[in-house]
Amino acid sequence: MIIRRLTIKNFGKIHDKTMKLSPGINVLYGENESGKTTVHIFLKSMLYGISRLRGRAAKTDAYSTYEPWENPSVYGGTVWFENGGKSFRLTRNFHKAHQVNEFLCEDDGELLDIEKGDLEAVLEGVSEIVYENTVSVAQLKSVTGQDLVRELQNYMASYQGTGDSSVDLVRAMQMLKMTRKGFQVQAQKRQKETEKEKEKIAVSMEYVRKDMDKLMEQQEEVFSQEESLQMTREDDGEEFLNERIERAEGKVRTWGWMMAVTFIAAVLGTTGLWLLFPGVMYPGILLGAAGLLLLAWEFLRYRRLNDELERRQRTKNRWMQKQERLRWNRESIQESFKEKEMTLENLAADYREVEERAYLPLSEELEVEALNLAMETIEALSGNIHNQVGEKLRLRTSRILSEITGGKYREVLMDAGFHMMVNTQERTIPLASLSRGTMEQIYFALRMAAGELLCGKVRFPVILDDVFGMYDEERLAAVLRWLNKEHRQVIISTCHKREMEILEKEGIPYKKLPL
Amino acid sequence: MIRFIHLADVHLGFAPDRGFPWSSEREEEIWETFRRVIASISKNPVDCLFIAGDLFHRQPLLRELKEVNYLFSTIPDTCVFLMAGNHDYIKQGSFYKGFQWEPNVVFYQEEKPLTVKAAGLNVYVTGLSYHHQEILEPLYDSLKPVKEDGFHVLLAHGGDEKHIPMNMKALAASGFDYIALGHIHKPEAVLRDKIIYPGDLEPLERNDMGQRGYVEGRFENGRVKTRFVPFACRSYQKLVLTVREESTQFSLEEMMKMDLMKRGGKHIYKVILQGTRAPETLIFPEKLKALGNVVEVLDETRPAYDLEMLLKRYGGTLVGDYIAHFLEKDRTLVEEKALYYGIQALLETGFPTGR
Repeated sequence: MIIRRLTIKNFGKIHDKTMKLSPGINVLYGENESGKTTVHIFLKSMLYGISRLRGRAAKTDAYSTYEPWENPSVYGGTVWFENGGKSFRLTRNFHKAHQVNEFLCEDDGELLDIEKGDLEAVLEGVSEIVYENTVSVAQLKSVTGQDLVRELQNYMASYQGTGDSSVDLVRAMQMLKMTRKGFQVQAQKRQKETEKEKEKIAVSMEYVRKDMDKLMEQQEEVFSQEESLQMTREDDGEEFLNERIERAEGKVRTWGWMMAVTFIAAVLGTTGLWLLFPGVMYPGILLGAAGLLLLAWEFLRYRRLNDELERRQRTKNRWMQKQERLRWNRESIQESFKEKEMTLENLAADYREVEERAYLPLSEELEVEALNLAMETIEALSGNIHNQVGEKLRLRTSRILSEITGGKYREVLMDAGFHMMVNTQERTIPLASLSRGTMEQIYFALRMAAGELLCGKVRFPVILDDVFGMYDEERLAAVLRWLNKEHRQVIISTCHKREMEILEKEGIPYKKLPL
Repeated sequence: MIRFIHLADVHLGFAPDRGFPWSSEREEEIWETFRRVIASISKNPVDCLFIAGDLFHRQPLLRELKEVNYLFSTIPDTCVFLMAGNHDYIKQGSFYKGFQWEPNVVFYQEEKPLTVKAAGLNVYVTGLSYHHQEILEPLYDSLKPVKEDGFHVLLAHGGDEKHIPMNMKALAASGFDYIALGHIHKPEAVLRDKIIYPGDLEPLERNDMGQRGYVEGRFENGRVKTRFVPFACRSYQKLVLTVREESTQFSLEEMMKMDLMKRGGKHIYKVILQGTRAPETLIFPEKLKALGNVVEVLDETRPAYDLEMLLKRYGGTLVGDYIAHFLEKDRTLVEEKALYYGIQALLETGFPTGR
């Protein structure tokens, strides 16, 4: 792709500015704060639209940052570019109330539709992030050597594993793992609660069992009492008492009869004697007295027997009451026992229910599953990218590095722990032992290689934003010669005249774009 | 005219939401609400009370049967028809066996259908009791009412495949005037004024959303009219909190407090967080639980990512591949969650750039 011309109508601090670009090397020259970065953002926003965020982030998004202060309803411009042998004109107004997007193919005058994806098709699917990762090269940000090494290694690893230098796979995975840990802890807590529930039920069951044991003991007690009263065969006991009462009753009856007989005999005897021997007094009196005496003795005997009968009847009543009480006791104990037994069964059912519920999937398990899936997917996809990009990127980076260092460094190596090394003809040197200048060269080679690999056929222009600050003259000349040899469009933005001087000295054609 | 009340699935003795602070209170409320039903019948007597199974959650204790029997004795003018369901099924040693009920109570002892005429009323009620926890035979489908003039009722429990499967069409054509069902806890009229699940009297678990109560009806000139009477003392309610990008934990808590105040603190809530949150906002669902009777907090929020936009923007890189991988198919809940977890991790842990 070649940018032919830019017209910035109104964008940030730049108004009504037109630049014609050469298909080779262009030098965008300006003082600090003169708007070099603005030009880059303008170009990107023309191709991909301006980034607008919602919520709190809106205050610092590109839309707000580059919204012109004067005449803000005109906010945009036009870009002319060539790609795949065709010329296009792209005009935009970014203003939210006056949005205009016009995309024209100049060769056949056909008006294309950005909404329908015509621009994406022309850019052959190179996304905004790939563009950011490959087209625009800024200086390494780190200041100290250690950080620099890390930054460079991260770039390489990220490119190889994700195709995006800003993604940190290791930390992303760590974040997922930590989130997973959180859910696992919660799930454990939930499980503990279930255990506690089960424990509670088990304790209740234990209490019921103890109660049942106690009831059993009480029942034993009643049994033994019944036995000691010989009440186990209760009919016999009652019969025995009844027999005793009957015997007593029989005796009482007998003595009653005897008393009656004695009385009648005495009365008849006395009266008989009286009638047979009227005048004879003694035998009659004697017999009467004997009869009375006998009667009195019999009466005493009768009373004693009657007392005995009553005693026996009372005994029986007492016995019956006691038996009744024991039976009632035994029955109530048995009823309570059955009740407890049922309670125990119900508690066992509760216990099973809690146990079954514990097997139901928890909401936390769902999250853990999702997190696992996320990690697996990231790993698999990153593996794919690594297969497609990883080795090719390393080889191409090595090649470019070799060319711009005149063969001094032959190869870039990376071990499993993402440690980068470079191979000279004689030995491998860890990144940390290299000078900053060399690291900048490796970085440059990496960015160039990534651009070629990730963008495919489109061959975007390379925008080098103040990257040569750390280069000595010889290195700079080598890089510029290499860029010239590659025959691609380059925009070097700088606030120094150094690049232009060397280009002139080397006899490399370029176009100056003053701001 | 015959007036009746039909209820089911009281589950006396059940302690809902085991482990939550209100659990034992709920256990008592289940009893209390049943007592309230009887008290309301005592004040305003109906002719029949149909209890379609699972009056008890587990095997009833003898004292519990006595208590229930006592309650029935306070409504002597109402004929109570009672059956055992799959929860309180008549198992070996059940106290249901040989229990002496009040004269106004008809209890179905057998596991085969029996038709009983209500004393002094032209009401014929066919029913049976569970003797097993599961009954796979469709015992009800072929039943027909007896050939007498009057109100013919089928008292039935179950309806799913393991608890006496029912062919509702066959039942509808069986000739019964009213089919008083139990077992399904959600109130449902399978056939209006004819085949009805009244649902549980008090809601028993977090998925029993909405009002609960009993069915009140009357039979007049050969036609049945019913209406649902909400009677439970609380309900489970869904509380949806809509999260927006500017929401914070604090604003959500305030929002929830307001909602709880409006709806009443006695109810039990299932809180669902919906909407989109700013990707960097963290929400702690556990903290929301402390604000009221909350059984569960479901976080269905999604980070506010515009997937189509991100897919375009990150095409050709891992983030793009990742989104494309999930966008290609209909996502399951797990995949949906995985998608957002992954994007968030990849985007938020990245190296700082000038973007």
